[in-house]
Amino acid sequence: MVTLSNEPSAPRAIKRRNLGWLVGRRPALAVGVLLFAVLPLMANPYQVYVGNLALIYVILAVGLNILLGLAGQLSFANGALFGVGAYATGLLRLDAGLPFWLALPVGTAITVAIGLAVALPALRLRGLYLALATVAFAQFALWTFVHWDSVTHGTAGFVMAPVDFTALGLRTTTGIYYLSLVLAVLLVAAAYGIMRSRVGRALVALRESEVAAESIAVDITRTKIVAYTLTAVYAGVAGGLFAGLLNVVVPESFNLFQIVLQFCMVVVGGLGSIAGSAIAAVLLIVLQEGLRGMQDLQEIGLGLLLLGMLLFAPGGLVQALRRWLPGWTEPHSRGGDE
Amino acid sequence: MLLAYALSSGITSGALYALVAVGLVLCYRTTGHINFSHGELFMIGGFLAFTLHVMWGLPYIVALLGAVAGSFVLGVLTDRVVYQPLIKAPPIAMVMATVGLSFVLKGIGRHFWGGQGEVVPFPPLVSPAPVLIGGVAVFPQQLVVVASVVVCMLLLTLFFTRTRAGKMMQATAENAHAAYLVGIRVERVYMLTWGVGAALAGVAAVFVAPLTLLTPDIGLSLLLKAFAATILGGLGSMTGAVIGGLLVGILEALAGTYIASSIQDVSAFIIILAVLVFRPTGLLGARARREV
Repeated sequence: MVTLSNEPSAPRAIKRRNLGWLVGRRPALAVGVLLFAVLPLMANPYQVYVGNLALIYVILAVGLNILLGLAGQLSFANGALFGVGAYATGLLRLDAGLPFWLALPVGTAITVAIGLAVALPALRLRGLYLALATVAFAQFALWTFVHWDSVTHGTAGFVMAPVDFTALGLRTTTGIYYLSLVLAVLLVAAAYGIMRSRVGRALVALRESEVAAESIAVDITRTKIVAYTLTAVYAGVAGGLFAGLLNVVVPESFNLFQIVLQFCMVVVGGLGSIAGSAIAAVLLIVLQEGLRGMQDLQEIGLGLLLLGMLLFAPGGLVQALRRWLPGWTEPHSRGGDE
Repeated sequence: MLLAYALSSGITSGALYALVAVGLVLCYRTTGHINFSHGELFMIGGFLAFTLHVMWGLPYIVALLGAVAGSFVLGVLTDRVVYQPLIKAPPIAMVMATVGLSFVLKGIGRHFWGGQGEVVPFPPLVSPAPVLIGGVAVFPQQLVVVASVVVCMLLLTLFFTRTRAGKMMQATAENAHAAYLVGIRVERVYMLTWGVGAALAGVAAVFVAPLTLLTPDIGLSLLLKAFAATILGGLGSMTGAVIGGLLVGILEALAGTYIASSIQDVSAFIIILAVLVFRPTGLLGARARREV
């Protein structure tokens, strides 16, 4: 499989001439983090909530991009795993009495276990079968959230006590916000680390051609498992934070609309671009909040956006950034350096 | 008695799953892609029939033709807007594009018909009173559905074996390049394939409408049942899709009757996973080959 873009990259000659690097990827991400860091100081509670939601979706989208953009593997199950993460963390707090700092990592571990349980049987097969299995899993997970009353508390979901951050001298909303920010920054940095590592190169080799990857001693099955595991970790953390943000977990938060929302984030940002996913996640959460309560318009809008991007701008936002900003480089997209 | 009831309702829904699955396989065989908006084509077809028959009071046959024509046009649009432009793009892009299209159609369905099919039911075609056949109570609607599905399958078989267009479709599915070399306009065949596949979903929708509630969200669960049918029968096999569809219908009716009725909603997932684990090529599918 080849990368989606056929566009030429920014000429290397321009790179790092004068102060071009100032408008590159790293400074842009740093400014973004800074803006998010000062947001709670100047915004109203609703804006802080939207900011926090955006941070959670940054984690989700970056995680999905590892699987979809980097490894080239399809999965429709990310929204469902996001739900599993939220349910696991929430239920561990509510029914098992674990504190949040313990429930979040354990919940993430459970998410990874369930994600692998779905992916493993299908890993023997070609991409299309796996895609079908994950669509079915997404529906199955939703069904379980609703029907497994004795554990998931059924259709109405459950309410938890707010997470306590008094030990750090923070209010709950501020505490969750900064925790999300720290985790988002760490996980985005980790994604870049993975990308540049041996594992990251194996993932890209898998995307480009399974046969060629195998011929240079990339263990296909193991690499796929690594990809699914990494994505499940991101989904689990995001789900746990989501449960902490809302203090309410209901099945409909994880409905099938998540599929188009998260695909959109990855594609709008640019398949295989971590920075792109992060930027697109923030933009799309703001868009979605703008269309709040209008389900039909959200579906039509995001569906058209996904379709339009694939048809007319398959490289995503990052393609434009790379073309217009001389300092913007992207590892592992075609023509990218570093 | 319970068993007979479960079987008769299972065969009815199974026949419909088969019809939807055949449309899905038709597109897959010819184009190599699974249309993830196939379920939404079904949904729109159903609501078109609902508008024509229930809201405008036109005769059922007009509603049938209208729904079939409408979904055929949508299928052709899918070809023009999604398939042809992305024909050279990686498969992952095509899958995501059809997912995008499915949400556009779902949103359109919700915008124009949201909530209506649940409030105003689609009237049955024939008398709703059950008739006794060999001691088993069968609803006439079920007989109509099964008979219509059989007729559709026969027409489809005749189309493939007797008509020029059908033979060109077969040839293209077999080897698109060779078909092109002998003068078949492959692009047109693709367009016709998407149209016919979508029209089959439209036909199924018109028959399902009187038996169930129409909702904008009906597409996905139907798509998954059709997936289950195609995977069970072996992806790429038409006969397999028919057998798989009937089996899915019967299995879920039995599970719904003897285990718990809510299981019907996830029968597709259980069947898909079981087939993938135990017999990934399906009942009639050829051994999966790797392409380099």
